[in-house]
Amino acid sequence: MRINRIAALLGLIVALSLGALSARAETKTATIRVEGMHCKMCSASVAKALQATDGVEKVEVSHEKGVAVVQYDDQKVTEAKLREVINGTGFKAVEEKSAGD
Amino acid sequence: MRRIIFVLLLLAALHPLSFGQTGQKAPQLALKDLRGRDLRLSDYLGKVVLVNFWATWCPPCRAEVPDLVKMQREYKGRGLRVIGVTYPPQTAEEVRQFIRELRINYPVALGTKETKALFDQSETLPVTVVIDREGNFRELIEGILLPEEFEQKIKPLLQ
Repeated sequence: MRINRIAALLGLIVALSLGALSARAETKTATIRVEGMHCKMCSASVAKALQATDGVEKVEVSHEKGVAVVQYDDQKVTEAKLREVINGTGFKAVEEKSAGD
Repeated sequence: MRRIIFVLLLLAALHPLSFGQTGQKAPQLALKDLRGRDLRLSDYLGKVVLVNFWATWCPPCRAEVPDLVKMQREYKGRGLRVIGVTYPPQTAEEVRQFIRELRINYPVALGTKETKALFDQSETLPVTVVIDREGNFRELIEGILLPEEFEQKIKPLLQ
C-alpha cells in the first residue's frame, strides 16, 4: 500500500516535470524559401547542414519547390539561425515579406 | 543451412571488392595540378589526405572552400593535406580565377567524371574522401564537410 502511494507520487512528479518541460520547449515549423537549389545534391547539402544544427528536429528540403521545411525547438535555435545555416551552404534563404510590406 | 552459408561465402568471395570499405587501399590518383605539377596520391604516404571533389558552379562547394583553406593552414603541420579535384563542366581559367579569389592554398587539378568515379559512383558534390597516413580509404563525406565531422572523423587521424 505504501509502495503504491510512493509510486503514484513519483508518477505525479514525473508527469508535472514533463508538463513543465513541454510548456517551455515548443516545436515550431519554419518554411523557408531557398534560392539557387537546382538539383538533388543541392537540397541534400542544405538538409545535411540543417540536420547538424542543434535544436533542429526534422528537415525536409525540396529543390523542386525551392523550400526547406524545418521543425525545431525554439528554445535551442531561432529561425534567423536556420536562415544563417542555409546561407552558409552557398544558397540563399529568402526573407518572406509580410502582406503589409 | 550449411549449404546456404557455403553459397553465401562463395558469392562473397567471387564478388569483386568495391571501393568504399574502410581500410581498403585508396585508388591511385595521378593528375597534373593547374600549375602543371604532378599530383599523385602515392606521393602523400605519411600524410592524412582530403581529396575534395568540387566545382565552381556548385554553391555548397564554393561555400566549403574557405573552411578547407583554413584546415590546410591550421593542420598542415600535423600532416593534413588537401587536394582539390574539379568536376566537369569546368575550364582551367574558371578554376584559376576562383583559386585566386579565394586564395586556395592547396593543389587543384581538373578532374573528369571518371576521376570521381574512382572514389565515388554518385553525382553528389561536394564529396571529400579521407585517406589515412598509410594510404587507406577511411571516409567518404558527402556534402559540406561540417566542423563536427572534421572533429570526429579527421582529427583523430592527425594524432
